[in-house]
Amino acid sequence: MRAYELIKETFCKKRYILIIHLSWLILCGIFCCFFSMSASEFGRFIFLWGGCFLALALSAGIFGDDISSGRICIIVTKPFWLGELYIYRLLGLSLQAAVDFILVWCIIFILHILMRKVSTDGLALWLFASWLLFNTCAALSTSLSVVVERAYNALILLVVIVTAFIVADPLMEYLKEQAETGVLVSFTRFACPPFKMLYEFAGGEYDKNILTVVRFSLAKSVACVVHSLILTVVYSVVGIVLLSRRQFSCRRD
Amino acid sequence: MIHNDNKQTTVIECKQLTKVYKGHKGLLVGCSKAVCALKNISLSVSKGQIIGLIGPNGAGKTTFLNLMAGLIFPTKGCVTVCGYPARSIEARSGLGYMPEYPAFLGSYSARAVLRYHGALLGLSHKAISLRTDKSSQQLQMKEFIDRPCSGFSQGMKQRLALAVALMNDPQVLLLDEPSNGLDPVGIIQLRDMLKQLRDSGAAIVISSHRLGELEKLTSDYVFLYRGEVISLGDRIVAGQAGRLRVELVSNGNDIAEKLLSPSKILGVSDTELEIAVSNREEVPDIVNNLAKGGARITGVLLQRENIEDVFLRLYNERN
Repeated sequence: MRAYELIKETFCKKRYILIIHLSWLILCGIFCCFFSMSASEFGRFIFLWGGCFLALALSAGIFGDDISSGRICIIVTKPFWLGELYIYRLLGLSLQAAVDFILVWCIIFILHILMRKVSTDGLALWLFASWLLFNTCAALSTSLSVVVERAYNALILLVVIVTAFIVADPLMEYLKEQAETGVLVSFTRFACPPFKMLYEFAGGEYDKNILTVVRFSLAKSVACVVHSLILTVVYSVVGIVLLSRRQFSCRRD
Repeated sequence: MIHNDNKQTTVIECKQLTKVYKGHKGLLVGCSKAVCALKNISLSVSKGQIIGLIGPNGAGKTTFLNLMAGLIFPTKGCVTVCGYPARSIEARSGLGYMPEYPAFLGSYSARAVLRYHGALLGLSHKAISLRTDKSSQQLQMKEFIDRPCSGFSQGMKQRLALAVALMNDPQVLLLDEPSNGLDPVGIIQLRDMLKQLRDSGAAIVISSHRLGELEKLTSDYVFLYRGEVISLGDRIVAGQAGRLRVELVSNGNDIAEKLLSPSKILGVSDTELEIAVSNREEVPDIVNNLAKGGARITGVLLQRENIEDVFLRLYNERN
C-alpha cells in the first residue's frame, strides 16, 4: 500500500508530468516518421533525450518541491524509514521511464511494419542503455533534490551536463594523455554518470571485449551495466543519508 | 515550566533543549547571523495533558514544536517522545503533527490525501476507508472530500491537516496554530475533538495566539519569550486567580505593611490596596483580616486575571 502510493505519487505529483510523457512519445513518433534515420542514429537520439533529459524533467523538484512547500513536514512525521520514501520515488521514476521506452519501441515497431522507415536492429540495446542512464541520472537528480529547494536540482544538473559536454570533454581528452592526471580521469570515468561507457555499450563496441579483473573475466558490456547499477545505488545511498540527516522547516515560501 | 512528577505517564520529555540556527555567509545575497531560537528549555508532558505554548512572534514556539516532531535536531539537549528519541520510527508511530501552514498535492483530493497518509502510516485499505469516513463526518469535510486540494481555503486545509494528524489515534498531538482559518463552528468542533482526545489519554501541545480559545482547553501554559521559558508567576495562576482591589477610607500603606505579606501586594495607595489572590476562596479571609486589623473598607472588587492578561503582563514586563 505504502509502496503503491509513493510510486503513484511520482506520476500524479504534477500535471506537467503527463505532458512530458506525451511530448516525449510524440517527439519520437515525429522523428521516426519525418526523418530518415538508421537504428543507431535513432538510438543515440533516445539515449540523449530519454536517458538524460527525460530523467531531469521527471525528477525536477521531486523532493525540493515538497521541502519548499512544507509538505515534507507532514510526511516525515509518519512512522516509516525515510529511505523508503526515496527508494519508492526513484522506483516510480524508473518505472515511468521503462514504460516510456517500451512504448517508444512499440511505436517504432509499428512504424517499421507500416512504413519500413526505421530498422529496429540493435534498438533494444539502445533503449536498455538509455534506461540505465535514466536511472543513474534520476538518482543523481533526486539526491540533489534533497538538498536543493524547488526544482533547481534539474536545472543545476542540466547546466553541469551541458558544461561537461562543451568544456570538460575536450579537457578530459587532453588530460588523458598526461600521466599525472590519471586519478582525476579515472574518477571522472567511474564516479560520474556513465554517459560515454553506456554510449559505447549501446553502440556495440564492447561486444567482443573481455575485461579481466584478477582471476575473473567479465564481458566488458556486463561490467558496464554493473557499473551503471552500482552508480545508481551509490547516488541513492547518498540521497537517503542526506534525507535522514536533513532538517525540515515548515515555513512556506 | 511544567514538570510532571509521575514519570510513568510522561510522554514528552525535553531536557535542556537549546536550538541555534547557524548563520551563513552569502555570496550573492546578504549574510545572516546565528540565532539562538531556544535556550535550555526543559519540559515534560504527561498523558491526558494539554499544554498551551504561548508567546509573541519569534519566541521559538514553532521551533519547539518542530524539535518535538523531530523535524529539526537540537543543538544541545534531547527530546524523547513516548520514551524514544524524537524522529525515531518508534517516536513517530505515536505522533500526530499539524503544521501552521499545511500543504498538500494540488492534484490530490482530500480523500486521496487521507489515503496517501494512511498508507504511509501502514494502515490497511479498509482501515483507511473507515478513518476517512469518520474524519469526513467529524470535521465536516463531506462537501469537499472529493475536490482537488488546489482549490482549498485555509480552513479546509486545516481540517484536512487535522484529519491527517488524527489518522493513527496519536498518543502525542502537536498542533501549530490549529484554529487558523477555521470558522466558529470549526473552532468549536476542534475544541470538542481535542477534549475527547485528552480524555482518551493523549498528550496535546498547542501553539496558538488565540489565547481565549486556549483558555477553554487548558490551564497549563508555557510562555516563551526570545527562546526562554518565562514563569507565569507563582502569585497568580491563570484562569483561577486575579487581583483583589480593596478601597479604604485611609491608611492604606500602614495596613498593607501590617497585615499583608509583601509578595501578595500588587499595589498600594492611601485609599486602595491591590492584593494577589491565587484562589477566590481566599477573598473572604483576606477581607476579614483587613477588617479585624482596623481597615475601614468601602469597596471590594475581585478582578480575575485571564491568560490574555497574564500574557500582556509578562510581555509588558519584558518590553
